[in-house]
Amino acid sequence: MTSELNCNDCAAWLHPYLDNELETEMAARVNMHMEKCADCKAQFAELQALRDGIRQHAPYFAAPELMERRIMSELSRQKPAHLPRQWLAPVFSAAALAASVMLYLSTPSPQDALVDEVVSSHVRSLMEQHLTDVASSDKHTVKPWFAGKLDFSPPVYDFTEQGYPLLGGRLDYIDNQIVAALSYKRNKHVINVFIMPTTQADAAMHSLSKRGYNLVFWRQNHLAFEAVSDLNRQELEALSQMILSQH
Amino acid sequence: MNVRNEDMKRFERLILPHLNAAHNLARWLLRDATAAQDVVQESCLRAFAAMGRFADGNARAWFLTIVRNQCYTWLKQSGARHYVDIDDEAAMHEQDALALSHAETPEALAVKTQNAAVMQRALEALPVIFREVLVLKELEEMSYKEIATVTEVPIGTVMSRLSRGREMLKKELCRHDQ
Repeated sequence: MTSELNCNDCAAWLHPYLDNELETEMAARVNMHMEKCADCKAQFAELQALRDGIRQHAPYFAAPELMERRIMSELSRQKPAHLPRQWLAPVFSAAALAASVMLYLSTPSPQDALVDEVVSSHVRSLMEQHLTDVASSDKHTVKPWFAGKLDFSPPVYDFTEQGYPLLGGRLDYIDNQIVAALSYKRNKHVINVFIMPTTQADAAMHSLSKRGYNLVFWRQNHLAFEAVSDLNRQELEALSQMILSQH
Repeated sequence: MNVRNEDMKRFERLILPHLNAAHNLARWLLRDATAAQDVVQESCLRAFAAMGRFADGNARAWFLTIVRNQCYTWLKQSGARHYVDIDDEAAMHEQDALALSHAETPEALAVKTQNAAVMQRALEALPVIFREVLVLKELEEMSYKEIATVTEVPIGTVMSRLSRGREMLKKELCRHDQ
């Protein structure tokens, strides 16, 4: 069975031999031939040198750093094939408000990863000039735009009179879910407010800063809010307070 | 939990880990950084829309098949000069016969492969059907079977394109040396 290979046959098998694609028996025959044939052996060494050269020296073009996030955020904006019928928006009631006021005592610190994501999304929204999918300062335009795109209903308010005009809304992707993003303006500063459903208890406002940005987090009526901007902390908290007391 | 969120989780788990492979393949096939990003983005949207049709299996090969198809569409549309149709493959045979005549010592060849810029130029000079099998084999370390899936040809064709591609690459490396 193990007949001798001639050089022509051997040449044909050298590539799959190099690639570890030969059956054991065939590989043994190639090996046996090369032990006796200096020409084939040299040819094989050349193929090895070529392979190692490609593996070690040909550039590998990894995806750019922001690509993954950009794609996920793009996917979140795609029209879904079918929308869920469930309506998970919380029912606003005096009882719920009373209950949530009680829970304001706890002030959890948001996870670092989430903080990073919020800051990155904010920066990206400014960099890509993709601040809004629906540009309007009219809450009656922005709020219906979200309907059918999210399975919760984000509260949308305009605070133009107070000096924080609503610029518009868009969808974004944070913490593995599709979220609503509202953008506001304060003088020359842009503020992003991310809103997403949460199962966690309500929590009072909690401020922090990261990479030169100020952030305010709070949870209210099964929604988590994250406001982020390069605006100073007091003014960002003022906007957060206005949203909180409207909602 | 909404249906789309579940689709996105599945996409994140199955497809996103292969984003580098997708970008690397697109960049090598298109030889254009901007086009590569556009094509990968478009491929992701298509993969996402088709997630429901992907049963379990080799997600990398499945995704790269989509990426490769999108690359070929782009190449056809852009009328790329070096685009080689499958029909032109026969014409390549005669050309490579010349490649075999270049006698190289493994040591001399090894020296030429050390230069990343030379290596890139040489690989980029290969017709796309040979370039793609080399990229999938050496940079993604795919098996013949996986490469056959991605390039939608029989395993025997993968094998012959690889051996021809390697001979052509050797020839290109020698040319750059001069």
